[in-house]
Amino acid sequence: MIALQHISKWVTNGGLRTFLLKDINLQIEEGEFVSIMGPSGSGKSTLLNVIGMLDDADEGEYNFLGQSIHTMKEKQRSQLYKAHIGFVFQAYHLIDELTVYENIETPLLYQDTKSAERKAMVGDMLDRFNIVGKKDLFPNQLSGGQQQLVGIARSLIASPKLLLADEPTGNLNSKQGEEIMDLFKQLNEEDGVTIIQVTHSEKNAAYGNRIINLLDGRIEHPR
Amino acid sequence: MNRNYLIVALRNFWKHKVLSLINIVGLAIGISASLVIYLIVSHDFSYDKFHPDRDLLYRVVSKIEFPDLTIHNSGVPAPTAAAARQEIPGLATVTIFRTNGEMKVSIPAADNQNVGVYRKEKDIIYADPQYFETFQYKWLAGSRAAALANPHSVVLAESKAKKYFPGIKPADIIGRQVIYDDTIKTMVNGIVEDFKETTHFTFGEFISLSTLEQSALADFYSWKDWNSISSNTQMFVKLDPGMQPAKIEKQLAELRNRHRERRDKDKKDDTQHFLQSLNQIHFNTDYDTFEQRQAHLPTLYGLLAVASFLLLLGCINFINLATAHASTRSKEIGIRKTLGGSKANIRIQFLSETFVLTLLATIVSIFITPWLLMVFGDFIPPAVTTASVYQWHVWLFLLALILAVSLLSGYYPAYILSKMQPMAVLNQRANAHSSGSGKIWLRKILTTSQFVIAQFLLIATLVVSKQVRYSLSKDLGYKKDAIVYFSVPRNFYSDKKDDRRLVLQQKLKALPGIEKLSLSAEPPASGSTSTTTMEFANGDKKMETMVEVKFADTSYFNLYGMKLVAGNNLQQSDTTKEYVINETYAKLLGFKNPADAVGKFIERDFLVPITGVISDFHTKSTHEAIKPLAYSSATKRSYTFHLALPTGTRNAANWSNTLAKVEREFKSIYPEEEFSYSFYDDSLAKMYKAEQDATSLLQWASGLCLLISALGMLGLVIFITNSRTKEIGVRKVLGASVSHIVMLLSKDFLSLVLLAFLIALPLSWIVMNNWLQDFAYRTNLSWWLFAISGLGMMVIAVVTLSIRTIKAATANPVESLKVE
Repeated sequence: MIALQHISKWVTNGGLRTFLLKDINLQIEEGEFVSIMGPSGSGKSTLLNVIGMLDDADEGEYNFLGQSIHTMKEKQRSQLYKAHIGFVFQAYHLIDELTVYENIETPLLYQDTKSAERKAMVGDMLDRFNIVGKKDLFPNQLSGGQQQLVGIARSLIASPKLLLADEPTGNLNSKQGEEIMDLFKQLNEEDGVTIIQVTHSEKNAAYGNRIINLLDGRIEHPR
Repeated sequence: MNRNYLIVALRNFWKHKVLSLINIVGLAIGISASLVIYLIVSHDFSYDKFHPDRDLLYRVVSKIEFPDLTIHNSGVPAPTAAAARQEIPGLATVTIFRTNGEMKVSIPAADNQNVGVYRKEKDIIYADPQYFETFQYKWLAGSRAAALANPHSVVLAESKAKKYFPGIKPADIIGRQVIYDDTIKTMVNGIVEDFKETTHFTFGEFISLSTLEQSALADFYSWKDWNSISSNTQMFVKLDPGMQPAKIEKQLAELRNRHRERRDKDKKDDTQHFLQSLNQIHFNTDYDTFEQRQAHLPTLYGLLAVASFLLLLGCINFINLATAHASTRSKEIGIRKTLGGSKANIRIQFLSETFVLTLLATIVSIFITPWLLMVFGDFIPPAVTTASVYQWHVWLFLLALILAVSLLSGYYPAYILSKMQPMAVLNQRANAHSSGSGKIWLRKILTTSQFVIAQFLLIATLVVSKQVRYSLSKDLGYKKDAIVYFSVPRNFYSDKKDDRRLVLQQKLKALPGIEKLSLSAEPPASGSTSTTTMEFANGDKKMETMVEVKFADTSYFNLYGMKLVAGNNLQQSDTTKEYVINETYAKLLGFKNPADAVGKFIERDFLVPITGVISDFHTKSTHEAIKPLAYSSATKRSYTFHLALPTGTRNAANWSNTLAKVEREFKSIYPEEEFSYSFYDDSLAKMYKAEQDATSLLQWASGLCLLISALGMLGLVIFITNSRTKEIGVRKVLGASVSHIVMLLSKDFLSLVLLAFLIALPLSWIVMNNWLQDFAYRTNLSWWLFAISGLGMMVIAVVTLSIRTIKAATANPVESLKVE
């Protein structure tokens, strides 16, 4: 599903190149649940953003579902992204001015889904996550765990093939964290969603079926 | 999709209430001003658009050239029409008609018992039968062909028919009698529908022109004279399709030559005729249109400039505030982009947000429009009212305006916002707004231009009002306080001698409370002017000069405090027997010492002696230089009473008492007339109406511009202080004083205001200096005018800024640091 070859990314500071990612080669198949680990600043989030097409690599090739992303125009890439990728953030990143319902609905708006269909899809999602009663609340009226639940619901609304999660439990207590991880596992096993998560926690990483360790922008060979 | 945008837009407006309010107020003022201008312009352009073949319709007008004066007259010599009809090919129709002032209309009842009397009826003309061929009316009774064929016929418009013959069917009104001014008896021969669209042709009664031609009026109006031109006698033609107006003008000149030559062969012809398109008659103020209101293009342009300034300032506020606040929206944009929103999506979202805001501003502006219509009442045609808003094309205009304003003010902020990189704004929130140094630069330019406009208008306001004050307080060469004048009626129709005014003069002389009394013509300065060519033989050389002629009696100069510098006062006489000239004329004639002019003769039909010279005074507004002038005594032409009342506050209380007595005497002699008088100083002030109107327009415009600019600055300073809360806290902890922090926050703005002043200074100097050149007598552009306006602007800026900066500076640093 995802093939990265010789991916590098750097920033130039005072004529000096600092590598954020260096010569990354990575293959991820459909249905995998991958955890990316590593110390702060090792390039975990950068890698996730490159995979998620939110960021460009400076060098290397990236194939997603058999299409080469690095040669694609922004419009096509955005089309591909909208259809197949969902993002979950550590800081939830819900839109403060929108209610739970409207937040979940927003990705569908960008895909021009019809109104009736949208209603049904959001309704299903609210049901599935047991947050029907909270649909008219605003993000600041929810607890962190609830907000992240909404964030995940929003990332899944367009039925993506790939879910990218950047420390999804980082701001949550351990009980809330466990619930989220259980949910991820269930999504992966029952719905066949490919998941790539960035995490600091060994325990959370263990939910996945593969762990990639990053250090200073390079992949460390599996132990 | 739009519902989602709308919701976010409204919630955002609510969240940033002050900001939204500033934007809405700014835009609403601009939009209302544009709306009002649009109403005026669309009204002015709606005149007489409905006539069939209106592009073939022309008015024949005249231009008369004198040595140093050109007179434009909207009329022609009356015989021109008949001759043109006979001799000029290419004219489909030719019509001539004569307009009248107010007339008395009497309607004998069907049984001839009672007579209905309507004293002051307007819109009555003498028209030839071709009038109704040239202008198409709908006939309710009678026929177009026959209605005006015979003398003593009249055609009434429906409105007048209903007034004179209430409840009677048009067909039954035919044959009824209508009597004008007790002498002209006519029979109703047709009823037409009034023109319903906007038109100058508001005539309601059409008396057959042959009525005039067969009566003594023909002589009185010089109806057969090729040299007499009156703007009351107007000629319209309809050209054959494809005919060039220039060709007709050439033939008119030839026509005039043929007919004129038979009479005044030796004199050079000074008169030319032109064809004026019907589309032009509302706009060309050189030629009046039945003494109705015409569009005044300079005023229209002025208003247009004001409206676009106000609109521009509102848009600038929006752009400034939207880009300044972009950082507060950056998180939302980042998220939207990660959810699949493209640049175009984001742009459309923010443009529709601007659209909603503009829409709200427009709704507000519809509510403030009646107020604006009131404030600018002096510039607005009376036909434009609040009800004018409810026309489909006005709504179309508003829609177009909303779209234009949304794009103008929303595009740049939308562009800036859509360019944000999602990961950059989501991860590095702290420096999200430091990235846009380009935006700050633009904001400074926009803010400066706002203040340049406001500063410019402020200076202009001060200069114009200074000039008006100067004009009104200038020594004009005569006394103007406590003088009242009024006219008595004069019967133009009868040749009988009317000495009633002399009786009134005797009665008024007996009244206490009147210090001085004069029976003359116009006061020293008035709207109307009468000029003539006078010849003076200086040795062999003949000097021909355009001289303004005025009439006085023996007490006139004394009453108006005008000084005789040489010779004697006029002696009472029925017609002109001698002249008192002004110093300018004396100098022009070559007399360095005015006394030398006394005893010389001016050549008229006979030699008229100069008996005195008076010192110069202004007969017009200070726009114009003092020109040659001659006074003579002519009781025959004296129909205006001038009363000098005793001055002093105690005496002033008695004025109304005195005037009431004057009215009683007036009524005893002219029982049917209305008594209306004017205080001379009031009517003088009216001569500066254009300037005073301009002053009030400028006052409002500069006030509103200042308001919008100050609001914009307030919005920016709110944003700046909010984003620098932490810095202010740290500085305070480090020991900065309140004044230090206020200065820190205000410094940038104040330097922009100063820069704006420096730009506006030369600009306004040039423009206002140019404007003052229009006045022969003008105030000077004093340095303090500029100083005051610059200082005033600075004070406004400081006050506006301090609303927010002082609060920020006195805030407890512990609080502000805790929040972050």
